[in-house]
Amino acid sequence: MSKIIEIEDYTWKYLNTQQPALNKINLTVDEGSVIGIIGPNGSGKTTLAYSMDGLIPGQYNGIKQGFVQVFGKEVESYAKGELQRLVGVVFADPEAQFTAMTVEDELVFGMENLGMSIAEIQERLEWVTELTDLTHLLEKPPYEISGGQKQRVALAAVLAMTPKILILDEPTSMLDPLSRRRIFGVLSRLKEEQQNTIIVIEHSLENLIPLADRMALLYEGELLLEDETQPFFQQTEFLLAKGVFPPGVVKFFYELMKAGRYSGNLPLTVETAQSELVKILTGLPKQETKSN
Amino acid sequence: MNKTLLGYVPNESPIYYIHPFVKLFFLLIVSLFPLFVTAPEWNIGLMLAIILLMWISRVDMRTLKIYIPIAVSMGSIILLSYTVLGGTHPEFELIVRIIGVNIYWERIRDAVIVYFRILPMIFTMVFFLTTSRERDIIVAMRSIRIPFVVTYVFAMALRSAGMVLEDFQIVRQAEQARGFDPAGKSIAYKIRQYVMYMIPLFALSLRRSEEFTNALVARGYAFTGEASRIKRPDYILTHYQFKALDLVFTVVIGLLFIILLVMHYGYNFFGMETSWLIQLLRDVVS
Amino acid sequence: MTTEVSSELTAEQIWKVEEGERRSVGVIHIVILALLIGIGFVVGAFGSISFPLGFGVNFFWTGIAVQQVGPVWFGGWGVLAGAIFPFFSNAISGTPFYVSLAYVPANAVQAFLPAWVFRRFKLDPRLRSGRDYGYLFLAMIVSSAFGALWSPLVVLKGFGLLTADSVPLFIWGWFGGNVVAGVVFNFILLKALSPVVIRTTAFVKRWWS
Repeated sequence: MSKIIEIEDYTWKYLNTQQPALNKINLTVDEGSVIGIIGPNGSGKTTLAYSMDGLIPGQYNGIKQGFVQVFGKEVESYAKGELQRLVGVVFADPEAQFTAMTVEDELVFGMENLGMSIAEIQERLEWVTELTDLTHLLEKPPYEISGGQKQRVALAAVLAMTPKILILDEPTSMLDPLSRRRIFGVLSRLKEEQQNTIIVIEHSLENLIPLADRMALLYEGELLLEDETQPFFQQTEFLLAKGVFPPGVVKFFYELMKAGRYSGNLPLTVETAQSELVKILTGLPKQETKSN
Repeated sequence: MNKTLLGYVPNESPIYYIHPFVKLFFLLIVSLFPLFVTAPEWNIGLMLAIILLMWISRVDMRTLKIYIPIAVSMGSIILLSYTVLGGTHPEFELIVRIIGVNIYWERIRDAVIVYFRILPMIFTMVFFLTTSRERDIIVAMRSIRIPFVVTYVFAMALRSAGMVLEDFQIVRQAEQARGFDPAGKSIAYKIRQYVMYMIPLFALSLRRSEEFTNALVARGYAFTGEASRIKRPDYILTHYQFKALDLVFTVVIGLLFIILLVMHYGYNFFGMETSWLIQLLRDVVS
Repeated sequence: MTTEVSSELTAEQIWKVEEGERRSVGVIHIVILALLIGIGFVVGAFGSISFPLGFGVNFFWTGIAVQQVGPVWFGGWGVLAGAIFPFFSNAISGTPFYVSLAYVPANAVQAFLPAWVFRRFKLDPRLRSGRDYGYLFLAMIVSSAFGALWSPLVVLKGFGLLTADSVPLFIWGWFGGNVVAGVVFNFILLKALSPVVIRTTAFVKRWWS
């Protein structure tokens, strides 16, 4: 797989701050992969997301060192508006992204900026509204729909532009569990059907883990850990020390491991945890087996 | 129901058969009519015609209640300006003298003329605001090829006005939760209240500017550079067709205006000399 | 990500474009223009409805805060907004279309003068000295005087909405309504928010960037 994003020794310091927001970051993203970025608040996740889209340094004042390359080109060398056609960003607050009067206008805005033809716009609109289940909301003002619907609109508006890379900055932070699942359902479909490169900044690890190929931990502006998802979460003690709380099943099996009751890879999902638990329980002596 | 700039209009309203350009044209041209009409009965007729149009369009007529205090205060101010503050004019016909203030017939007449000139102009604006959705105004502007950046700024301004109103409610509730309640307080207290609201409203708007900008840039919008010169397809216009009926309305409005000008300048029609209402008023006051 | 506000900048430094500093018009300025029109629309309409004298003239016009403070921070974009938003706030509060349109020059001058004074005399938007207060007050007086003469005299008299004898009432109403509201709002807003605004990319040192 080719490297689509290459970040090398990247440091960013906002003007008039004491410490850099990001410090000597080295990260590579392969085409078609899904990367999850986690870390406590203030660790630099959003700064990293903005750096990959050219919003930093384009819209912010600061001092940059190192390289951020997208498709082999430094982000600053892209002409105005050019990089944003390749990299789509969905922000945490959907309401802050809405500038149109109706959902349909919101979805179409980005495509108009690209100069797509009416026929292309109609085709993309049909695809994206079916994908995100927004067909019945097209005439509504985007600020009058529910939080989950808003975030789906924000996602659809970016997807309609067919970006090669999709960055989602805490896309489900304001959503209820059901809405969160719907968003991740869309991302799963994108991964399967479109093979998009997706970078997700999230706190909701239960939904992120099944989707992500790799995970990265940011802490106080530094990239402390980056690995495939399974080995990443085996570092449970380290993650907990850095303020990251793995899913309940991981913690549960981690505690079992600490108590000497389990040895093996920590399962990351309920399904894998269930099968591990069955193994443990069936391996116990007869008098300890519970029957329903 | 569809939300307009000033209330709601049912989905089935016949106003939606009219292209937004026609509504904008109506506002711009019909607002000029009263400037060329002196006889109040004609302006009253125009005002009633606009009210009728609002009723046909199924506008919630209770919206007009908002403008009753404005109409009353405006009428009072005009009357005061023309009578009590009208000065001393020996050349005018003195009707009555009240506490040393001369009330002249010509001043009363002029106040009535001016008042009934203003009212239809206000009603034209109210008709436009009550029947136009935000999207309609954008479409109307795009139809007459106003540059996209202008229409988009306008759309964002409308959007941000809505958000400021929401912010205002939130700030107000937050300050009331802190015991800052202006109900029943003095003017000075209320002025202090406005100051307390103004600062957070500004601060919220400034923070929002950064978020809006990031959103626009992330969607590929550029104000300068090559990306800004890309021809935009104007997708929104595909939903609106300028039909034969729209052309008829536009032509009728234009023709009426031309006829008005010809009658006014060519035949001195619509003047106060031929106004039966002015004559009636004259008979009443004298 | 926190940005600490430095209080070490002098007034001169605030307005100075450093050597090598690149400033250009961007999307942020379009957004600022729209937001100022939006906030001015709400605040101005509130003032027009709450304290009316008539025809968009008010005893205490709250919109002056947006009209005169915005241009100090955002230069030409603030002036544009200051000239445009009263058109909409007056429309909502019942001022006829063409009367509102005719007010635009007065509003443009009221928006322009404070912005010009700050840039011309290198005043501190944070209002650190008596000189800053004094010049701002003077700009408010002069610009409101122009507005007061233009609007009632030219606009309202031109449309026949007022008699010559009642024009002074409206002149003083316009003038007083703007200056008093300006004294209440402008100084506090500049004092409270300038330290933050001058640090943003939206802040305009020249006229457009």
